[in-house]
Amino acid sequence: MNLAIKDIRYHLFKFITSTIGVGLILMVVLTIGGIIRGVILDSATIIQATGADLWVVEKDWLGPFVEISRLPEDYYHAIQAMHGVAEASPLATAWVHVERPFRPTPLMKFMYMNTVIGTRTMVRPGWMAIPHDLRFIVIGYEPGHIGGPPVIVAGRGIEASHYEIVADVRTGLQIGERIRMGDFDYTVVGLTKNMVAFTADPVIYATLDDAQNILFEADPDLLRNIRRRTRQQVLGAAQIAPRLSDPLANQASQIAENVSLVNAVAVKVKPGVPVETVAHEIERWKHLTVYTSAREVNMQLMGSNRLILLQLSLFRLILLVIAGVIIGLITYTFTLDKLKEIAVLKLLGTQTRRIYAMILEEAVLMGLLGTLLGATLEFASEPYFPRRVVATRGDVVQMLVVITVIAVLASIMAIRRATKVDPRSVLGT
Amino acid sequence: MEYAIQATDLSKSYGQGHTQVDALKGVNMTVRPGELFAIMGPSGSGKTTLLMILGLVTEPSEGRVLLEGQNIYNGTGLDLQRLRREKIGFIFQFSNLIPFLTAKENVLLSLELIGIFGRQADARAMELLEYLEVADRAGNLPEHLSGGERQRVAVARALANNPAIILADEPTAALDTERGLSVMRLLRKVSKEQGTAILVVTHDTRMISEVDGVIRLMDGRMVESDGSKQQSQPQSSR
Repeated sequence: MNLAIKDIRYHLFKFITSTIGVGLILMVVLTIGGIIRGVILDSATIIQATGADLWVVEKDWLGPFVEISRLPEDYYHAIQAMHGVAEASPLATAWVHVERPFRPTPLMKFMYMNTVIGTRTMVRPGWMAIPHDLRFIVIGYEPGHIGGPPVIVAGRGIEASHYEIVADVRTGLQIGERIRMGDFDYTVVGLTKNMVAFTADPVIYATLDDAQNILFEADPDLLRNIRRRTRQQVLGAAQIAPRLSDPLANQASQIAENVSLVNAVAVKVKPGVPVETVAHEIERWKHLTVYTSAREVNMQLMGSNRLILLQLSLFRLILLVIAGVIIGLITYTFTLDKLKEIAVLKLLGTQTRRIYAMILEEAVLMGLLGTLLGATLEFASEPYFPRRVVATRGDVVQMLVVITVIAVLASIMAIRRATKVDPRSVLGT
Repeated sequence: MEYAIQATDLSKSYGQGHTQVDALKGVNMTVRPGELFAIMGPSGSGKTTLLMILGLVTEPSEGRVLLEGQNIYNGTGLDLQRLRREKIGFIFQFSNLIPFLTAKENVLLSLELIGIFGRQADARAMELLEYLEVADRAGNLPEHLSGGERQRVAVARALANNPAIILADEPTAALDTERGLSVMRLLRKVSKEQGTAILVVTHDTRMISEVDGVIRLMDGRMVESDGSKQQSQPQSSR
């Protein structure tokens, strides 16, 4: 006969409500774990989906996603020719904002209420009505090379050399929709999925030429200004070579207008060739900085996201401790309610270990059921979070183990109380 | 074996020096199988202390206790918890059934404690509940039983391990006279039919008619033993 089960059956309502409370806390613990994993996955998504082993950027810069490095587009030809390189693909990447009409969601309104409290002077009244900037990262690649969308979930990939884009579903863009970036309109021809930057901004893929136009092409007024100033500088030398002055001036202004730049070159190394060796060779001969994919992911994680990840981890730890304290207190009060029964059981000669097992089993059962409830709620609520939340079965198994340990530790206080119960207390009363 | 339990020169003191309290002083008594004795006396007379010593939960300061001829204390190193679950049955004032177990499960628990499980335990539990006329209440929790029914289940639980002696601590105190007498008659029936020695601590003089003998305590001493109705008279040192 299992005394713990019998006791739970008797105090069913109390046990269920307590377990629901524990389950809700553990749901939050699991969700925070899922948020942390979501940030990590977001940080690795583009790097991994590209399939590159190395990322070549401007010397001493961290790019291409952490800092904006710039290097001439044609460098990739030289890198392609190096020993051990299977493929080198130039990429242009940058964050772009597009103004979109915006309708506040209930979650946004809730956030607004929280934001206003204590920060009224910092928040402009009616800010929710302000047009919403759709923020995303544009990745320009050469079709047929690495760096493009890994999967098309609707529509097709980019086929034309200009004005076609593939967008992540999280942008909210539809196939056939046109958006203006820079001086041109681009048509969404396909949708991809789960492609977000480490900031969780969704990705838009374009051809390298289009991306260069969007990212590097200057404003027409600025270009006219550059042309005029460059021409004047070159025309100053007209007295020495009058016939060359015009061609030189034109050439000089074209240099200033050159948009044949890229932010990085993604490199795939041939099988069997050590990645580090290729990276060293590129750095040595081309005076560039090379990062492995793992390092690139690490920079994103330990750069902008480091503090928020640590913050979330600490919060998760605190919640876990709170869950342990709550289980401990519930178990303790459960035990306090049974002191007389424990005394009777002791007087009847019940083995001490059986009494302690009853207390322990109830705590562990509450922890395990709470974890399963929390996990169920967590999985059910994941799609409703604005950012990626990814809890796994492994997380649940890990939580089951952790909560078992916590429940055992939490039972110690109750068991210590039970050890002090004197069986004589039921005699003479 | 002649005696179910035999106590010789039992004394129990608490504290030391000027704070020492003598709860029991030189008590002698014997009870044979099938005898029902009442222990009576005012509050503080040592009834509960005597019950605790005989129930193997408190060691006497002096004296000897033989349970079915076996010396219990005096450094014998016996597993008292085990002896208690195998040789002694307890009945309490408020029955003290385990509230989260049904009537039958309360009896089954005592059987499990002595290593009887499964169908054998089930049959024995039902047999006891039938014997005590509460078999129809076997599946009920204690809170759904009347006071008299609870005490009957408590008696069944006490009998489950086929004990050498049943110690009953004020089993009728929470009942009215009629139900109290009914419980005492039941205990008498059990002692006679099952051959179990029973010691009942009680304040209620109306219950004396049902017992074989009375042990009266006053300030820790045995002041009187009325064994006129008993088959074998309890001995007093004083």
